[in-house]
Amino acid sequence: MNNWEYAESIESEKIVKIEKKYGHFINGEFVSPNSKKYLDTISPSSEEVLSSISIGNEKDVDFAVNAAKEGLKQWSKTSPSERSKYLFKLARLIQERSREFAVLESLDGGKPIKESRDFDLPQVAQNFFYYAGWADKIDLAWGSGISKPYGVVGQIIPWNFPLLMLSWKVAPALATGNTVVLKPAETTPLTALLFAELCDEVGLPKGVFNLITGDGTTGSELVNHKDIKKIAFTGSTSVGKYIQKSLAGRDVGLTLELGGKAANIVYNDAALDEAVEGVVNGIFFNQGHVCCAGSRLLVQEDIHDVFINKLEKRMQTLRVGNPLDKNTDIGAINSKDQLDKITDLVNEGVSDGGELFQIECELPKNGFWFKPSLFTGVQANYKIATEEIFGPVLTTLTFRTPDEAVEIANNTEYGLSAGIWTEKGSKILWTADRLDAGVIWANTFNKFDPASPFGGYKESGFGREGGRHGLLSYLKASS
Amino acid sequence: MTEVKKTYKHYVDGKFVRSESGKVYAIDLKKEKYEIPLTSKKDLRDAVTSSKAGFAKWNSLTMYNKSQILYRLSEMIEGNKESYISLLQQHGLTKNDSKNDVEDAVNTIIWYAGIVDKWEQLTGNLNPVAGDYFNISHQEPIGVTFSLSSDDISLNSLVKSFLPAMSVGCSVISFTNQNAVLALKLSEDINNSDFPSGSLNILTGNFENIVEDVGAHVEIRLAAIYSNISNDLLETLDVKGSDSVKRIVNLPSDEGLGSIIPFVETKTVWHPKGQ
Repeated sequence: MNNWEYAESIESEKIVKIEKKYGHFINGEFVSPNSKKYLDTISPSSEEVLSSISIGNEKDVDFAVNAAKEGLKQWSKTSPSERSKYLFKLARLIQERSREFAVLESLDGGKPIKESRDFDLPQVAQNFFYYAGWADKIDLAWGSGISKPYGVVGQIIPWNFPLLMLSWKVAPALATGNTVVLKPAETTPLTALLFAELCDEVGLPKGVFNLITGDGTTGSELVNHKDIKKIAFTGSTSVGKYIQKSLAGRDVGLTLELGGKAANIVYNDAALDEAVEGVVNGIFFNQGHVCCAGSRLLVQEDIHDVFINKLEKRMQTLRVGNPLDKNTDIGAINSKDQLDKITDLVNEGVSDGGELFQIECELPKNGFWFKPSLFTGVQANYKIATEEIFGPVLTTLTFRTPDEAVEIANNTEYGLSAGIWTEKGSKILWTADRLDAGVIWANTFNKFDPASPFGGYKESGFGREGGRHGLLSYLKASS
Repeated sequence: MTEVKKTYKHYVDGKFVRSESGKVYAIDLKKEKYEIPLTSKKDLRDAVTSSKAGFAKWNSLTMYNKSQILYRLSEMIEGNKESYISLLQQHGLTKNDSKNDVEDAVNTIIWYAGIVDKWEQLTGNLNPVAGDYFNISHQEPIGVTFSLSSDDISLNSLVKSFLPAMSVGCSVISFTNQNAVLALKLSEDINNSDFPSGSLNILTGNFENIVEDVGAHVEIRLAAIYSNISNDLLETLDVKGSDSVKRIVNLPSDEGLGSIIPFVETKTVWHPKGQ
């Protein structure tokens, strides 16, 4: 293939200032952890240690929840229009410091700078801006019968879109009058810690936003704290089930945004070149670390060969490498653990009999990397066709009729998202009606917007984030 | 002449059936004592099979059609009003309270019949996304629903435990203990209202006997608990339900838009705009 040579174009790291060590952010200030324990957060593209973060224990969590309880007194006395203004100010500050956040996100998480800069950060700012405007209109959203906040909300977010997930959780929670204890993922805490500084800068009342870092044990302490009134979790289905079980018999609200194994259905009357772009974006966006990734390509049998041929050609143009290089399409895998998981599943796919195509490219020596991969010749019962891989690996299945496409698409315990590619409008609507999925992209994929609700059917969780429907996740019905 | 006494049976898949276990429990009313079928685990599984098929049938009807079927239920009750009043009095209610309760139930049914073809205009909307996309969020019924009704002796409470779910297109397994005679009498009018078989099944018995199965059965997508149950029972239901991320709603709102929101899933569809 006759590739253009690209000159490196590296975004400077100098814009970010990372402390050697971080405490928790509780009651408006950074505090040392009671646990006196820390863990390193590294750059997955170089394996270089960036900083040490605190591991929250039971006492740390208790301190944070109590601060949020105190904060609630102040926040509930703050008028809705004042709450609105704090959120607008946060949105503006995020816009102003957006490049700094983007570089930090790419350093700590491994995602390409063009995604953190052009997708994550604009969405984060817009999300605060969007929910800021709801804060003084809560009664209008769902009526006065559904307008009361829960109180202290515990939020646990994943490592794939660290700051974006923070904004999806924090903005609607604060807009509806709740106060927050947030726990970011252990591998990607740095942008959340920087966000805490902004909360201080805008003068958000103490205790309204609290941040506690750590690992799974910290999250578990948060879920089990007696004064938490609601838990919002984004992450794996297995941890989601564990949280639901932990809350059994307790009067604690819960929303879960869990895993997926989305079908991306390409009918034979699709615009094929556009569909190829959509399929590539659907699975390789953010290294495939996307719960709604289009990880199962369902292609109509009669166009299989021509479509796969186009797809492989397009995949070969993807550039894998330094996340801070502005030319990079595919960055680093977020952690060694995740790389091992992807590698194991792909090896299993090969030994099951799947035919593996990987692009030809050189991978950096240090860090965690995985070549964009495509499986064909896959049976529906292979693990690579049923389990969430959460990496840059696409599995192809074929179908003959629209009914069969729907049946295969729905034959999973997940139900987060799906894609439909056809030039025929009635077929889009027919298919969309039948797919068990909370988000359906027709002739597009992986589009997000603060005004658009996101969330799953079945074991992909319950509750929505984004839009008017996202408010429901933080409001109680008064009966 | 000896009065003929009615045998009350479960209502499953459009048929009146006894419990496969052959077991019963007693409900002692003023004049008569009734032996009511006691739901077994197998009865529940049979009802779920029926409800799954019933969901497909009920959900495939147009909203207009569903609305008319619910409205017809109110017509049936109105026609048999005196017999409901008399039965409520048998349970110990005054004549006046009984009459009010039946009238309230009719009004409740009419409210839900009237919202069937409107709720989605209240819960769904276009989303003003920042880009050239058509983006709409609309709602679909969650599916097979298990509903534990309140033990208040009240026809109105009883209908409020299945109407919110049914009005959005879910099929319902309505389960009751103390309201059993009333519920099984109601099933006769349900049977005369053109509900597709399996769309609304009525079982009676002890919730304790089946709580684990309600939680664990993956085909039951949602459990709505309108009765004040013990914390232990709720915990068991939640623990079993967590294995399949089941929607479990404890004491849902029983009026207004808030009453139907737990029973819907929001589906958001995107499409680009262009030439």
